[in-house]
Amino acid sequence: MSYSNKVIEHYENPRNVGTLDKEDPQVGTGLVGAPACGDVMRLQIKVNDDGVIEDARFKTFGCGSAIASSSLATEWIKGKTVAEAEALKNSQIAEELSLPPVKIHCSVLAEDAIKSAIEDYRQKKAARAALEGTAPTALEGTDS
Amino acid sequence: MAAVTPSRSAEGSGTPPLDRGSRSEARRSAGGGDPFDLFQIPPAFELDLEELGRRHRELSRALHPDRYVGRPAAERREALGRAIEVNEAWRVLRDPARRAEVLLQRLGVPTGEESNPPARPEFLMEMMERRESLRALGRAGDLAGVEALSEEVRGQERELLRELGEGFRRALETPEAPVPATLSLRLGELRYLRRFFDEADAFLSD
Repeated sequence: MSYSNKVIEHYENPRNVGTLDKEDPQVGTGLVGAPACGDVMRLQIKVNDDGVIEDARFKTFGCGSAIASSSLATEWIKGKTVAEAEALKNSQIAEELSLPPVKIHCSVLAEDAIKSAIEDYRQKKAARAALEGTAPTALEGTDS
Repeated sequence: MAAVTPSRSAEGSGTPPLDRGSRSEARRSAGGGDPFDLFQIPPAFELDLEELGRRHRELSRALHPDRYVGRPAAERREALGRAIEVNEAWRVLRDPARRAEVLLQRLGVPTGEESNPPARPEFLMEMMERRESLRALGRAGDLAGVEALSEEVRGQERELLRELGEGFRRALETPEAPVPATLSLRLGELRYLRRFFDEADAFLSD
């Protein structure tokens, strides 16, 4: 099976490889795997106060298509809002990279990784809000 | 031989249309019948591979083209086809992940790409860390480090194989009970470990 030029380009020249501090409250980390082939993918986003993804990093242990899918995904979501990133579909990645049917699951993995990073970010944010929210809630509670 | 009966009896009563025969026929034409049936052994995850290797050699000898010299062409073709099947069955049986897949299919559990349960987050986390360590060690040329980390993962693999062996033994003994989802989960984990070893072996053979 041959890889498309775009896959090879991302594979040889992956964008945004690396790690963001997963303890950072602005960072969301997504960790996903493909049980059918054993690929693992980590994708992280850093969201600013305006809800814009100002940085994205990934690390993928897998085939060329999995690496290219995650590389392209980070490239695309950078500068987008969380909601925009969430709307990204695996089919867009598959189409851009001309993935053959047997490699579609690699683009699915990348979509899952984005969603899982966003979920992690939101959970952190909600947990923080709940924590900060306890004091005012308790005060308001005295009124009723 | 008792070995062949489970596949027949597993059909139960009153399901004639999708009979075993036509299904295995379809599979055969797609490149291989049930490997346990071909080897005429009872389905099991824990196998004596040495014994099975002997059985493979016996079957291969019996089907060898030299033994069919002067026989009708149809018979020669049939023997050749069977020999190819036997070789493929041997590849499946000696590979734990493929063996597990065949057993799950026999137990009626789908094994397609979509049907794999997602891995546990803590397992993925550990796998990610190990792949990162492995790559760092390999790139630094620290082969002793690669070897040590591989040994650790081999220990994990042994434990997985033990769990799969036990799980399949129980599932095959009690075909009426639902097949525990942990079997598919463990099979997935086995595949993640496999990819680790692929990379480790590549470093070690460089």
